[in-house]
Amino acid sequence: MATNDDILLQTAATVGLMRLNAAHLEQLKRALESARELGDKLPKDLHYSEEIAVTFRLSPAGGSKP
Amino acid sequence: MTDLAYLGIVDAADLIRSRKLSPVEYVTALLDRTGRLDSRYHAFIGLTPDLALAAARQAEQDIAGGNWRGPLHGIPTGLKDIIDCAGVPTTAHSKVLAQNVATKDAAVTQRLKSAGAILMGKLATHEFAIGGPSFDLPWPPAVNPWGGNHFPGGSSSGCGVALAAGMLPAALGTDTGGSVRNPASMCGITGMKPTYGRVSRRGVFPLAYSLDHVGPMTRTVRDNALLLQALAGHDPDDPGSADVPVPQFAADLERGVKGLKLGLVRHFYAEDMQAHPEQAQAIDRAAELLRGLGAEVREIRLAPLQDYATCTRIIIRCEAFAIHRRWLAERPDDYGHLARQRILDGAAVSAADYIDAQRLRGRLTRRTLETFAGLDAALTASSLDPTCRIDDTDACARLYPRQARQPFNVTGQPAMAIPAGFTKDDLPLSLQLIGHPWQEAMLYRIARAYERATGWTERRPPDVSTC
Repeated sequence: MATNDDILLQTAATVGLMRLNAAHLEQLKRALESARELGDKLPKDLHYSEEIAVTFRLSPAGGSKP
Repeated sequence: MTDLAYLGIVDAADLIRSRKLSPVEYVTALLDRTGRLDSRYHAFIGLTPDLALAAARQAEQDIAGGNWRGPLHGIPTGLKDIIDCAGVPTTAHSKVLAQNVATKDAAVTQRLKSAGAILMGKLATHEFAIGGPSFDLPWPPAVNPWGGNHFPGGSSSGCGVALAAGMLPAALGTDTGGSVRNPASMCGITGMKPTYGRVSRRGVFPLAYSLDHVGPMTRTVRDNALLLQALAGHDPDDPGSADVPVPQFAADLERGVKGLKLGLVRHFYAEDMQAHPEQAQAIDRAAELLRGLGAEVREIRLAPLQDYATCTRIIIRCEAFAIHRRWLAERPDDYGHLARQRILDGAAVSAADYIDAQRLRGRLTRRTLETFAGLDAALTASSLDPTCRIDDTDACARLYPRQARQPFNVTGQPAMAIPAGFTKDDLPLSLQLIGHPWQEAMLYRIARAYERATGWTERRPPDVSTC
């Protein structure tokens, strides 16, 4: 059966963090708890029509950057 | 003899232009002063005396030859050490970048150089502008000249300290969740977070792309307007930079506030969080004073402070983790404890929550700007408490989230912190002014009226004012 440490190590590996020691994993544990609390504070009625984050814009003709 | 330590940009520029003050003399005096004081206050990560003296000699020659470039010509300045200057280390106050030497100037560094300003050195920050104060980094944290051994705020800590201690008349900080306005508030100086997109971030190490701002820090309001004038303008190489006209920021500085309509966001510091009584009273007194000067001040309600804080925290965590994750994967021990915690925090937030936070940002911005309709500007607290001892880790940790600055990183509105008095223990109190997008000039006008009426920007930390 997986221990809490195993789960933390697996979580760290999932996000590419393979070199975390025990103290770092303790910090990751706090991060997971804090992320859950923060996520719970987000309003539940946010709608995709309010999207602003991933708006892709093409530059005008001749522009070099998207 | 002129007190060069606390000479402001405006007065120094007059003396330099009329050749009553040599930039070499000015730079030498401030380097000497910094040499005497900085072993105690740690404002600088690194001084650049050779560069500074060479630039000062050049400025002196240019001005003698009739080529005065404007009010920043010959003025000593400092950069928060996440802002690049070609040939000079940018460490971000971190072991991770301890050996990093910038190869190009940041856009703002280029602008300062073009205006003739003189770089004196790179200033202390919280590690990568995110975690501090920390005692496990290659350099100690900056210490506030106000109080015995106090926290100067952050993350533009060195900027606040250098200005308050009379080591510099001007510095550039950055503000992602309040990091220009926090040290301005704690150190009794003036800090402006301009409108998002007003000042280029090219060449500035990012904390969170969608919330980062570069901002001018000075002792007085007029100096701040002059510094922003040099920094503002479109940069096609910063995707967040806006192609909007740049007005004369100091044009209306002395017009006063008579007839202006100001909103007072009292619930931020009286309901959402309870400010320290002396800080709350300072804001209430500022509102009264502005009324007395002829402004119409009425209470307004924005979303609760906690909504803005949730939004900001999620965005900063995710964007910072995206920036740092490869270094964090390869060399986690090279980060200090606090920065590592705050960056790791982003590893745990889901993509869906990040996108929801951006949606919330849009909603909060729309509603905030609707409430600002019909107003010229608003005022509220910046910090909710005076500063605390820097070696009291718990007190510093408690202090950090108790602030009303993040809302305006979310909305991108211009917001500035100015001195608003002192506690009975002689620690700085502050006031925050918030404007409509692109209306920094209005904030300078209100701030100047308040400054003129109160004189708080004239006060100096007792321990360093006679050095």
